[in-house]
Amino acid sequence: MQFSEDHELLKAHLHAVHPLDNEVYEAFLPLWKPFEAGRKQQLSLAGGQERYLYFTSSGVQRVYTLNGDKDVTIVFTYAPSFGGVLDSVLLQTPSAYYYETLTPSRFLRIPVTQLHEILNRYPQTETLMRKGLAFTLSGLMERLAELQCLSSEEKFRALLRRSPHILQLVPHKYLAGYIGIDTTNFSKLMNRVRI
Amino acid sequence: MENVKKIMAELENRVEEHIHFAVSSLQNMPEQQLLQPAPGGGWSIAQCIAHLNSYGLYYIPLLEKGMTGSSAEAGYYKSSWLGNYFTKMMEPGSGKTKMKAFKNHIPAADADAHAVIAEFLAQQERLLGCLRKAQGTNLNRLRIPVSIASWLRMNAGDVLRFLIAHNERHIQQARRNC
Repeated sequence: MQFSEDHELLKAHLHAVHPLDNEVYEAFLPLWKPFEAGRKQQLSLAGGQERYLYFTSSGVQRVYTLNGDKDVTIVFTYAPSFGGVLDSVLLQTPSAYYYETLTPSRFLRIPVTQLHEILNRYPQTETLMRKGLAFTLSGLMERLAELQCLSSEEKFRALLRRSPHILQLVPHKYLAGYIGIDTTNFSKLMNRVRI
Repeated sequence: MENVKKIMAELENRVEEHIHFAVSSLQNMPEQQLLQPAPGGGWSIAQCIAHLNSYGLYYIPLLEKGMTGSSAEAGYYKSSWLGNYFTKMMEPGSGKTKMKAFKNHIPAADADAHAVIAEFLAQQERLLGCLRKAQGTNLNRLRIPVSIASWLRMNAGDVLRFLIAHNERHIQQARRNC
């Protein structure tokens, strides 16, 4: 079976976590359909149930929540990675979070109902999911520890070390919100740390 | 009657370019560079952008308030001679090369430069929302007083075209300072 370039990227991404049999790829991959969105488009709203699991082929997106009149970025997604409001995808319950694009974006996405059918039909996909989620959980714990232990400047430096390219990709206010500092403080750090 | 979808898509591409420029370049510049006056004493980059912010601050809330953006309504827009005149005057290619800013739109030279860029980005993201809603709005029914002559009203489609042509003009000016 011939797959698109984005499907090949998805396949390589899955394969690196846990290789599947060809027969499973052929049932699974065609269910992922191409989808594009411009900058700042809401893909999922809090209160609704997440309908898709996304795989980002290009662009940057974020999952966020509202705190009074402020919004707080919980996680960024960019290629090649999975996106969407993951807890809602897995639990199939209404989401407490929003998912939106921060730059023009290209995705593959699969309806959550079809994803669950595949997980039920092929045990190897469940193994893949378990291994994938272990990496996700490990990343989340690392981020939680950073948020609680590091000073503003240390968090800023850690962000630059891990994803230096993100400074040129999204407005800084989202980065400031992500590491829990205010935007004025963020630009002061930009001025100081660079020098 | 104009093709609303096509016009709004073209405007969206332009706003996308302006945002991309501010995100990839301006917001990462040192404050000193943003505040540096242009050779010959012209506006600094931060002043060009602050000037645009003063227009966005006035027009964007009025646009947002009036945009219904309902999917049931088909967008409608017919340009007026006034809108065409203002837009043409602002377009960098066809307008005058130098103009004098109106008094409420003269930017300070000592602003917090990064706050100015952040405000611009926040406004442009909201402007994208307006352009999308415009596709389902009767833009001629929404008439907005002109910021520098409140007795004069322009329809929302003309305002969007004028505002974004004006942005293009001063983004090009800012680019010359980079």
